[in-house]
Amino acid sequence: MSGVLDFSEASGSSILSVSQKRSEDVILYQQYQVEQITLPDYAQCLAVEAFLRMSGLNFRVEQRTNAADMSPTGKVPFIQVGSQLIAEFEPIVKFASSKGYCLSKDLPDQSVAEMWAYVSMLDNILSNAEHYVAWMVPDVVAEVTKPRYGCAYPWPLNWILPWMKQREVHHLMTIKEWASKSLEEVIGEVRICLRALSEKLDKKTFFLGPKPTELDAVVFGHIYILLTSKLPGSPFNSLVSEFDNLKEFCKRIESTYFF
Amino acid sequence: MASEKMKLEVWKGDWGLPSVDPHCLAVLAYCKYSGVPVEVIKTGNPWRSPTGNFPVLRHKGEAYCKVTDIFSYLRKEHWGSDFELSTKQSADVVAFSALLEEKLLPALLHLWWMDDKTFLDVTRPWYARAIPFPLSLFLPGRTQKKAELRVNLTKGGESISEMETEAKVYKEAKECLNLLSHKLGEKQYMFGRLPSSLDALVFGYLAPLLKAPLPNNQLHNHLIQCDNLCRVVNDVLVTFFPADLREMEEKKKKEEQKSKNISTDNSEFPNRRRNMILAGFFALSAMAAYAWSSGLIQIQISDIDPAPSPNSRTNNRRGPAGVEAGVGQS
Repeated sequence: MSGVLDFSEASGSSILSVSQKRSEDVILYQQYQVEQITLPDYAQCLAVEAFLRMSGLNFRVEQRTNAADMSPTGKVPFIQVGSQLIAEFEPIVKFASSKGYCLSKDLPDQSVAEMWAYVSMLDNILSNAEHYVAWMVPDVVAEVTKPRYGCAYPWPLNWILPWMKQREVHHLMTIKEWASKSLEEVIGEVRICLRALSEKLDKKTFFLGPKPTELDAVVFGHIYILLTSKLPGSPFNSLVSEFDNLKEFCKRIESTYFF
Repeated sequence: MASEKMKLEVWKGDWGLPSVDPHCLAVLAYCKYSGVPVEVIKTGNPWRSPTGNFPVLRHKGEAYCKVTDIFSYLRKEHWGSDFELSTKQSADVVAFSALLEEKLLPALLHLWWMDDKTFLDVTRPWYARAIPFPLSLFLPGRTQKKAELRVNLTKGGESISEMETEAKVYKEAKECLNLLSHKLGEKQYMFGRLPSSLDALVFGYLAPLLKAPLPNNQLHNHLIQCDNLCRVVNDVLVTFFPADLREMEEKKKKEEQKSKNISTDNSEFPNRRRNMILAGFFALSAMAAYAWSSGLIQIQISDIDPAPSPNSRTNNRRGPAGVEAGVGQS
């Protein structure tokens, strides 16, 4: 495990960790879940929340309308520990493991390699697909994403900011060569990804070994969103239902860690 | 199988590699692994390519430009090394391919196109030499812009500085190399004794990193420490692309012989003395021509020699002008 992780972060932490471990106050910042948050961000936030719950850290969730602007990288979610801000899933995981909260420390190297490979597959395929559906399918953009993204701002801004965000996502999708794909092709990509996950999970309780790992957290975040999102045309809901074990997995995680 | 032969266009090779581009290398390796009867065209002219880039696979009037498209097309035509894999291993192929794209590709793009030293010393000269004239003026620039956009949009952002982006990209790439090394272990290929499409991709990404003469190479140094990855790349080169290795060795021998023949100073500019003489001669004649035309030197042969000839007549015509100028100056 240690070969994978960043040493520079780990080395400086030992002094801090002992005193902070008990009374550590971790705050998870995200946007308002019910009214505001968009599909791709919601998946990321859920993944981080699931990870924090699995690792048994004490934390509380703060919902802010401007969470994305508060984040050091401009992306949600981010956590605050003392005076430190850490944004996005992977840095948060590495930070937690440097404090001794590592879910995958008992795994052999090869499993860890596989774990991170699957995590980046989810980042690569499912995140792109979520961005695509949220920001590039006209119905969804007009009915769901833009009103939600702009809901926290007064009149001219609730029109301008979503438009700017949409342009940004368009650029991102173009450069990743996703913009030219049709919705069917995107769904095909998601199906490939889900099939790979389903194969990997098989009939096990968790993806790797007897305990939950970072991969389980990420998978839960994405699959839960795909299952429960209510979008016009609901492109994903039926797709996940094709894979029973993923659906079961999702329910299991929800009932174990979220109550 | 199809009667018509598939044609694969790739970037030219160098440094003992069949091609310099990671994606071209991946497709070439995939074809070699599974013995696809494909006609490989090594070229530097992307004029006919639909995207202005390589690889391009042409078959039955269709052109496929993206590596994933080419792989899935070949798979559809029942060429491929992935049929032996179990469903679990196929899932791993999808996952690790995504890992490569997400973590290693940005670092390679950064290294080749955004790192000033590498771009000026290796990338730009290479492509300027490979691509024919009018295209060579703007194609490298376009590719560079694309690479910059990709790295900055996916890894950077408004609130992150360029240095932080660079550090992040290389850190992730090194971690990715570690993960690959762990996954490979002591096996011959990723999934045992048979190479898969994942091995093709890994070979494509790693071979240029290992073989190219890169000036700034923290990634190269990290790769060298992963013995098993280096071993696989070298094995694949020796087993599947021996011709290119031989070519490089011959080139090396030739260069060595040349450098033996010529003194070490001159090896870089073999015609140095000739060029110096030519330049001196050109400068002299230009000065002489200027001096003559402005009247500093006057040629008065025509005045002395009265014999009428077509040559002397032209001289005559100019002669007075020269004289006049001379007079005017004096």
